Amino acid sequence: MSNTPTRAVIVGGVRTPFVRSFGRFTKLDTIQLGVAAVQGLLRRFPIEWSELDSLLWGGVVLPSTAANIGREIVIEAGLPRTVEASTVTRACTSSLYSVTQAAALIERGEAEVVIAGGGDSCSNAAITMPPSLIHKAGPVVMNRKSGPADYLKLLASLHPSKDLLPRQPAVRERSTGELMGESAESMAQRHGIAREDQDAMALRSHQRAAAAIESGRFADEIVPVELREGKRVSADDLVRGDTSLDKLAKLRPAFAKDGTLTAGNSSALTDGAAAVLLMSEAKARALGFTDLVAFRSWSYDGVDPADQLLIGPAISMPRAVQRAGLTLDDIDLVDIHEAFAAQVLCVLAMLANDRFAQQHVGAEQALGAIDPETINVLGGSIALGHPFAATGARIVTTMASELVRADKATALLGICAAGGLSGAAVLERV
Amino acid sequence: MSDYLVNLGTKPSARKLVGMLGMPLPQKLRRAKGPWQERPLADRTIAVGHGSDGALADLLAGALTAAGADCFVAGDDAVLPVYVEHGTAHGRRPTPLDPTDRPDGFRPHGLIFDGTGLTHPEQLAQAWAFFQPLTRGLRKSGRALVIARPPGLDDVAAAATSRGLEGFARSLARELGRKGSTAQLVFVEAGAEDRLAPLVRFLLTERPAFVSGQPITVSGQVAAPARVPTTRPLDGKVAIVTGAAHGIGAAEARLLAQEGARVIVMDRPSEDEHAGRVADAIGGTPLLVDITDDDAPDAIAAMLDERFDGRLDVLVHNAGVTRDKMLFNMKQEHWDMVLDVNLLAVMRVNERLLPRMGAGGRVVLTSSIGGIAGNNGQCNYAASKAGIIGLTQALAPAQAARGVAVNAVAPGFVETRMTARMPAATREVARRISSLSQGALPQDIAEVVTFLASPGAAGLCGNVIRVCGGNLMGA
Repeated sequence: MSNTPTRAVIVGGVRTPFVRSFGRFTKLDTIQLGVAAVQGLLRRFPIEWSELDSLLWGGVVLPSTAANIGREIVIEAGLPRTVEASTVTRACTSSLYSVTQAAALIERGEAEVVIAGGGDSCSNAAITMPPSLIHKAGPVVMNRKSGPADYLKLLASLHPSKDLLPRQPAVRERSTGELMGESAESMAQRHGIAREDQDAMALRSHQRAAAAIESGRFADEIVPVELREGKRVSADDLVRGDTSLDKLAKLRPAFAKDGTLTAGNSSALTDGAAAVLLMSEAKARALGFTDLVAFRSWSYDGVDPADQLLIGPAISMPRAVQRAGLTLDDIDLVDIHEAFAAQVLCVLAMLANDRFAQQHVGAEQALGAIDPETINVLGGSIALGHPFAATGARIVTTMASELVRADKATALLGICAAGGLSGAAVLERV
Repeated sequence: MSDYLVNLGTKPSARKLVGMLGMPLPQKLRRAKGPWQERPLADRTIAVGHGSDGALADLLAGALTAAGADCFVAGDDAVLPVYVEHGTAHGRRPTPLDPTDRPDGFRPHGLIFDGTGLTHPEQLAQAWAFFQPLTRGLRKSGRALVIARPPGLDDVAAAATSRGLEGFARSLARELGRKGSTAQLVFVEAGAEDRLAPLVRFLLTERPAFVSGQPITVSGQVAAPARVPTTRPLDGKVAIVTGAAHGIGAAEARLLAQEGARVIVMDRPSEDEHAGRVADAIGGTPLLVDITDDDAPDAIAAMLDERFDGRLDVLVHNAGVTRDKMLFNMKQEHWDMVLDVNLLAVMRVNERLLPRMGAGGRVVLTSSIGGIAGNNGQCNYAASKAGIIGLTQALAPAQAARGVAVNAVAPGFVETRMTARMPAATREVARRISSLSQGALPQDIAEVVTFLASPGAAGLCGNVIRVCGGNLMGA
């Protein structure tokens, strides 16, 4: 190893269209969506495949039959089998985590060229049978000596509703039993976030995303996906450029009677995948790539899920900025994952709260006040959709290209996640 | 060891029926499960009132919202913004409260009145005005807390006011007992306010379930630690509990270990099986030595040196015996044994071990309500347990300068092996003469001891805290 530290750079990224779950991607599982994103990435940034060292893939709703989807994507995409692969699962920060881990791999000198990303297909979430069925049936089915009498005895022991009714997959916190929307609703109440402000944020998200799509801004970032029947999907289908405050105001509360969160100001269940190509800076330059962006810092944190489940970015974002040796004044772009408009507004409120910073961030002063209108300049998860493990790589991709396009220096990203987790990162032009 | 009336009281129909006969059944107390929590008051409604100057508003707002409480704030408008500031940072914005015009269905879990600004008995009416409309709505196993300045000798009116608040709190404790609720009075000395928060947090949880009608003084004598942990307060600390094979001692060992302490479970050699079982369950270390042996202090010191690099952070004197006889029947051996185990051995162990405790050390002694009020057939026991009070009060200021806090608990009737052997009628009287109309469980004593062993107990120096359910006996 030389004495000059290696710097990892982002060459660029792509994503599949983001499509409402149980829609046009229903027949594609998370591995197939990942294959589409990875193949699209390699078409967009052609390199010799033999240069690839590793693939790190994020997933939240993982198939129990092939939990290391990263490896399955390598094989199914036809990449050299020598490309080692792993799967990262860290709720909605999964692919921010896989991308920063890829940067870490490169900066430790373990790899030179890495694909990182993530994706999810909520349409293919496994419906599981009750564990009691497995516990009863397992010993009989797995035992080669079991005879018809054993099977009959097993059948007689089964309870129709307790043992045979499949379990519905639900996005509930294991520790609290709460739906994420319920946690976000209680945060909105705790911080006094008004319905109007949430709807206004949702409207901005849709309008900005629609404008970006209209202008062709995402054309280089979205790779079309071939469906089995020969059709292809090439555009997002959740963005509603024609929505209005009136329409949003008519929606009924989704998580609590008298609540303020609605389907309109929350992100929807979405299928999709996103992939990012990272290299050592030397390698990228040698291969002739320009417009490079790098991670200046990142921070991953956890809070108590029973308290304010999604407040974490208010801790991770200031920590990332601090680790970057910057202040808010140095940040040109801010992009925060919109799980719920209410949650983003709570995070913004706490980013400006000195006492919160002292007690939770370990900083004397808060990061500072950020006008909600200035964040997420190209829309966010409310408009675009939120395939859990694709969102991090989606934001990295869009912000990296936006730094180049708008000729800015730094971008600050923040993502909240189930389990009280969060992640944030500072991107900078190289 | 189970109380048939408490059990009966858990059945709504029986409760109603017996209640109609005019004899309310004791309320089963809500008790804490598991270790200390970051936000023990999450989703709890706490009504706060500030008399006169609202001097403690900043402190209480910080302590309550950090503990996760939803505060309803009564009193003048100057106080509310303080709660808004703290509450916002914790996602716990306060609600203004007019006690005489409460929101529908307002059922607080706790009521706190800051009476530190009261200097004249005429102002005692402020306490009345806060509690009077709110106590009826207090939930079962609720908490009422009055904070006052300790009565001094300089200002006659202020002294009368402080004692007035104490009498108020003690009576409130009696009234709240039938619902399993408790009331305490905290005297906070001027300049010691920064030590108040951990105590307030503790008193509002379920943990002091059997402490009621108690005045507790917060002083600045013991150096406060730089950081007061809210969870795992005893992480890594070395603790000894004497008499830890059974009952209260075993519960103390268990709770200290639950908060992270490495516990030496000490008892007589004949208790090897039980002491071993307790130590095994909590990952502690058994030490089988008779506390009255001349070389017991050396044996403890030797084990500390051998296993814990000589370190000792928490010393809980729990071992105790009774040999009840009316004085005219009491033989010298009865006298000698009780005094030796309960008092003299404690002094010998202290003499040997206290010098090795450093700043942050905690000593908890065990007195008894018998030592406070006296009891038939207990001249020996009461002498030893009252002796513990004298010992605690004299030892505490001497140790405070070194950063060691010395305090005591004084249990009332506790449901243990020992009291299960009492005559049924005596036991029944002992249970019912407390405000809570029931006996304590060993856990109830252990919870208070664990608090006194924690870094947050730095404000307590020479307190004797009764864990008696507001017993009618004693002052």
